[in-house]
Amino acid sequence: MRYAILLMGAPYSHQASHSALRFARAVLARGHRLEAVFFYHDGVHNAARLASPPQDEPHLVDAWAALGAEHDVPLLVCIAAALRRGLLDSREASRHGKAGHSVEAPFELTGLGQLVDLGLRSDRLVTFGP
Amino acid sequence: MKLHIVNRSPASSQVHAQAVTAMGPDDRLLLIEDGVQGALPQLVRYFEDIPGRLYALREDLEARGLVGRCDASVQVVDVDGFVQLTEEAEQTVSWY
Repeated sequence: MRYAILLMGAPYSHQASHSALRFARAVLARGHRLEAVFFYHDGVHNAARLASPPQDEPHLVDAWAALGAEHDVPLLVCIAAALRRGLLDSREASRHGKAGHSVEAPFELTGLGQLVDLGLRSDRLVTFGP
Repeated sequence: MKLHIVNRSPASSQVHAQAVTAMGPDDRLLLIEDGVQGALPQLVRYFEDIPGRLYALREDLEARGLVGRCDASVQVVDVDGFVQLTEEAEQTVSWY
């Protein structure tokens, strides 16, 4: 089956990120295709390039990036939710006159239309809220 | 059949009541995160209207030291079983 995950909880504030990551791995382990993970609302903080948790704690940003790379899963970040929270890729940082950027590949800023599209072309869309 | 997913404890939130009210006759309900507290004998009464259709996620029970403390009416599933429940349901609804 084609699965998609919608993640709306911030890392280290709620369990949502851990739940979503564990579910994503289980989906792939059962032989399903994970079409994409869509990060929305406070969930966009999962894409924070500069996140530096203690070394003996799970690194959620790296874990998502590894999952995306290993299984070719697009990591889609709502651009409207991200920009207002200070999460900008290099292009948006340049556009807004910011000195640095806080989002990088494999995460990609995208529009909410991508979430609608994801819902339409996936067999299952599972939401993890805060 | 839909799968309803609840991540809040019935001791601290009312979303379980909204979920149970919204459920169809064949729908199932899975407790995850703090929601697994609803599987305890002292809280399971909130789900008495959905006999045989209440599930709880083992990993979240383990994280809270609650394995083996669930009411006998609750079916405990691991994350693989969670995915299987989503396979069997046409849609999922998350309550939080």
